[in-house]
This record gives sequence, C-alpha cells and structure tokens, in this order.
Amino acid sequence: MINVALPKGRLGEKVYELLAEAGYKCEEYTKDSRKLIFCDERGEVSYFWVKPSDVAVYVELGAADVGVVGKDVLDEYEPDVYELADLGMGKCAMCVAAKSDWTDDTSVPLRVATKFTNTAEKYFADMGRDVEIIKLNGSIELAPVLGISDVIVDIVETGTTLKENNLRVFKRISEISARFIANKSSYKFKTDEIKKITEKLIKAVEK
Amino acid sequence: MAVIIDKDENQILGNLAAIYKSRGYRRYKLGCFEEYSLYQENKDFLIGKNVITFSDLGGRLMAMRPDVTLSVIRHNEVPENGLEKFFYNEKVYRQSAGSNEFKEINQTGVEAIGAVDEAAIAEITALICETLSQISSDYILDVSHMGFTEGLFDEFSCERQTLSTLLKKKSLHDFYRFAEKNNLSDELVNAFCVTVNACGKADNALKEAKKAVLNDKMSAALSELERLQVRMNKFGYGDKININFSSVNNADYYNGIIYNGFVSGIPRFVLSGGRYDKLLSKLNKRGGAVGFALYLGEIERYFKRDDALVDCLIIYDETTQDEALELADKTVKAGNSVRIAKSMPTELKYSRLVNLCKEVKQ
Repeated sequence: MINVALPKGRLGEKVYELLAEAGYKCEEYTKDSRKLIFCDERGEVSYFWVKPSDVAVYVELGAADVGVVGKDVLDEYEPDVYELADLGMGKCAMCVAAKSDWTDDTSVPLRVATKFTNTAEKYFADMGRDVEIIKLNGSIELAPVLGISDVIVDIVETGTTLKENNLRVFKRISEISARFIANKSSYKFKTDEIKKITEKLIKAVEK
Repeated sequence: MAVIIDKDENQILGNLAAIYKSRGYRRYKLGCFEEYSLYQENKDFLIGKNVITFSDLGGRLMAMRPDVTLSVIRHNEVPENGLEKFFYNEKVYRQSAGSNEFKEINQTGVEAIGAVDEAAIAEITALICETLSQISSDYILDVSHMGFTEGLFDEFSCERQTLSTLLKKKSLHDFYRFAEKNNLSDELVNAFCVTVNACGKADNALKEAKKAVLNDKMSAALSELERLQVRMNKFGYGDKININFSSVNNADYYNGIIYNGFVSGIPRFVLSGGRYDKLLSKLNKRGGAVGFALYLGEIERYFKRDDALVDCLIIYDETTQDEALELADKTVKAGNSVRIAKSMPTELKYSRLVNLCKEVKQ
C-alpha cells in the first residue's frame, strides 16, 4: 500500500482528482468530509490530509511514502527526501518586495520581514548583504507599510495584494510549483509502486 | 508504532562484536574527548556541523566526540602493507535529527585502514549485510561509487554542486531546466538521466548504468561494482544490494564505494559508510580506508519493548510482611523478578499478581 500525504486545500483536492483518474481512487473520499485519513477498498492507497507546510515532515518521517508539497517549503526546510516530479500546479514565485519608492541604503543592514527565514538568509548571504531577519507568520505585506522592515521575502502569485498595499516586486528569487516527493527509505522498499504512481501522476498532469 | 526489531540493543551489540571479532577485527576503545581542531578542520566529514566544546584544564579547546572515524584515523599508524582492522562501540554527541538539542547516541562500526583492496571491500560489504540482518531480515544496502558520479560530473563544464544536489534529490525536472539554461548536449542529458534512474536491484541497475558511461573513470567504477556484485551473489547477499547513484558523499573525503543501509519501516538510513582515502590524505597519512557505522540512535525506538517490568507483583499489608518477604525470596530463587509493595504501584506492568492483603489499596 502507498501512503500519500496531500496538502489540505485546493491544490490537494486537484492532485487527488488526478490520482483518482490515474487509478488511485478512494471510494470513501468526499470533498466535504472532515476525515483526515482515507483508504481505498483494495488496500492499494491511503491518503492523509495535512497542513501544506507539514507534508514534507510526514514524508521525511515515513508516515507517508509520498506527498505533494510546494517548492517553497522544500527550499525552506530542506527535508531529506527525493523530489520525483514537478506537477506544474500552484505556480507562484518567491520574491523580494518593498514599497514602490524604496531604494536600498547599503550603509545599514537591510531589515527583511518574512515567514521564510532560511530562504531569505541564504539569498542575502549569497549576495553578501548584511540583513536583520524579522520572522512573521502572516500579513507580511504590512511590515514595510508600517516601517518595521525595508523589504519582505514572500510568495507572490498575482501581485494584487502587493499592489493594493503600494508595494512591488524588486527581485524574483525562485519559481515555485507543487512537487511530488518520496521518503528515501520507502523508495527502496516500494520502488516499483512509487515509480508507477509517479509515472501515472506525471501523465495525468500532462493531459 | 509497530515493534519491528525482536532483539534488544545489548543483544545486537553483543552479536555484532562476535561477528566482527570472528573476522579478525580488534575492539578499539576511545577516550570521550578530542581536540576541537580535528572537527573544525574536517567539518564537512561530520553528519552534523555542531559540536559540544569546552576548555580543558590546560586551556585547550576540546570537544565531546561527534564522530569516531576521525579519531581512529588520527590516532593510528596506517600500515603500508596489509590492513589494520578495528571495530568500536562508542557514544557520540551530536545534534539529533529534527531538533535543536544535542543527543548522546550509541554508534558501532568497523574501519579497515591500510592497503585497501577489493577483498577488503567485499569483506566490509558482507559485514554490512550481516550487521543489517541482525536488525531485520528485511533490509536493503544502497551502494554507489564516487568514481562513477565524479566521472560523470567531470564531463560537465558547469557547477558540480548543483549537479550533485539534483542527483541526490533525483530531481530530473529541475535538471532539464538546468540543461536548457546551460545548453547541455543530448549525450550529457541522457547520461545524467540514466544515472538517476539506474537504481534498484544491483544486477539490473548495473546493466542499465552502462548506458551512462562516458569515460574511463566511470567505466572503472562500474567494473568494480560489477565484481563486487559477483562476490556478493556468491556470499548470498546479492539480492540485498541496491544500486543508487543518488547516494553522493562529499568528494573531498570519499573516493570509492559508498554505502547506505535501510531497514523496512525505518524512515532514514540506519547505516552509512564507504571508502575514504582522501580523509587520510587530509590528515597527512598515506594509504586507504574503508568502513561503516551503524547508528543505534536511529533504531532505538524500534526495539522490542518488555511490557512486564516484573514477573511477579506481591501486595502485602502489616500482617503479611514476613509472608511477602518469604514469597519474594522464593520467586527470585526460582529465576523470576519480583516487586513487593504495600499498595498497587501506578504504571508498573507485571505478569502475575499475588495479593496478600484482604483489601488492595489503590
């Protein structure tokens, strides 16, 4: 049996639909159910619904053999997993954004507000820029508006929130999309099953 | 969590020591501390980068040992001919996976130092299989070769680090983007893809890997793996060997075969090792070395738990104290464990209860 960790929300539902079409359907699954684990009757697959940022943890610790997670989460937490496919869904970008009229004063450390502290630290360390990281858990766009940071590092999908708060993107750090990942130990013991589900999922995505 | 190891840690360590001794490996005992400079200069060889340090009475900066191999190499003469063969069972101190705390971890392992030849590699590989089989019969030994992957990277004129990361993650989708950006030839793209996909049972994977060979270095590495597989088939371990070139270690230290041992039901590798002649050069020593370590910290939660802490629990009151003592004595002499108590202990598991008072106090 393959255990699949899916992110709660639209992306997870979409991936489930693709897997169901590819033959990994779970009869007891319904969109409105509050159940967190579903198994199919043939015992070939089971699905866990978890918080998107926790999918990599479940896979790395072997509770799930495979899972679907954003590249942003993989870059931030660097879990020791195989990254088997880019599903091309949930596309967005990790960006540096600031107030539209911002200019960088390189004589002082740059104040950076973000949820993705590792990603931000690595990016600015590569640039050799001295920074002060301010860890926030939400409404990151507010930080430069209220003056607690100079820039933010955050995911930008359409840019509407930035625009409405008089912010704009200054640099795209990396492109983000959903990735299909596997636990390294599971990959050894369930090689054929994991290769099969990966291939079927890739085919379903390409349709 | 299901129990999957039907022995306890001491049984496994005892069995392993007997196995290693039977092959002529000597027990090697280390002190607890080592000069910090040894780890500072070889940080990339360590699994975790953090080390517990302190100043000794003479003002030297010392460390609680996070690794055994570095100490074994540092403190031993490397024979020009023949091999020194050691095994150890030591505690190491390093950051535990997924937390910010240091942990004391039991580690057992084997090192062969000196004139390493293919017989030594085959012996170590067989010892690894015997080691893993002590934990579970359902194990897989992932084998790779730095000569194969380094030989592949030699053909690319672009960054080695990126290629190594993509290979480790088996991330072909990101490799295709990288290939496009760097205008890589079809031959190189194909060789990289074959290297990622040539994984699984050794006999098939080695055949598949031939399609990726681009130079003598890759060819020599593959031939070495093929000869090793022939020997492992003879020893009866052939079907336990997996080829997986995504197991890439630091090329500054490792130069040949690479090992990673997995046990079904345990999410991370429980054993790792390989050939590390380059570490010897870094420590100004000549010769070769090959070895492995079993990380007991990774498997401790999977050991069989003894549910019954005592065989017999005797509850007594003021009038039955002597009777309880007498019965306890008889029970111990009969080879069973016993606990006497005036009231029912909480959270004590027992196989048999003897109640010597009329009313059991809860």
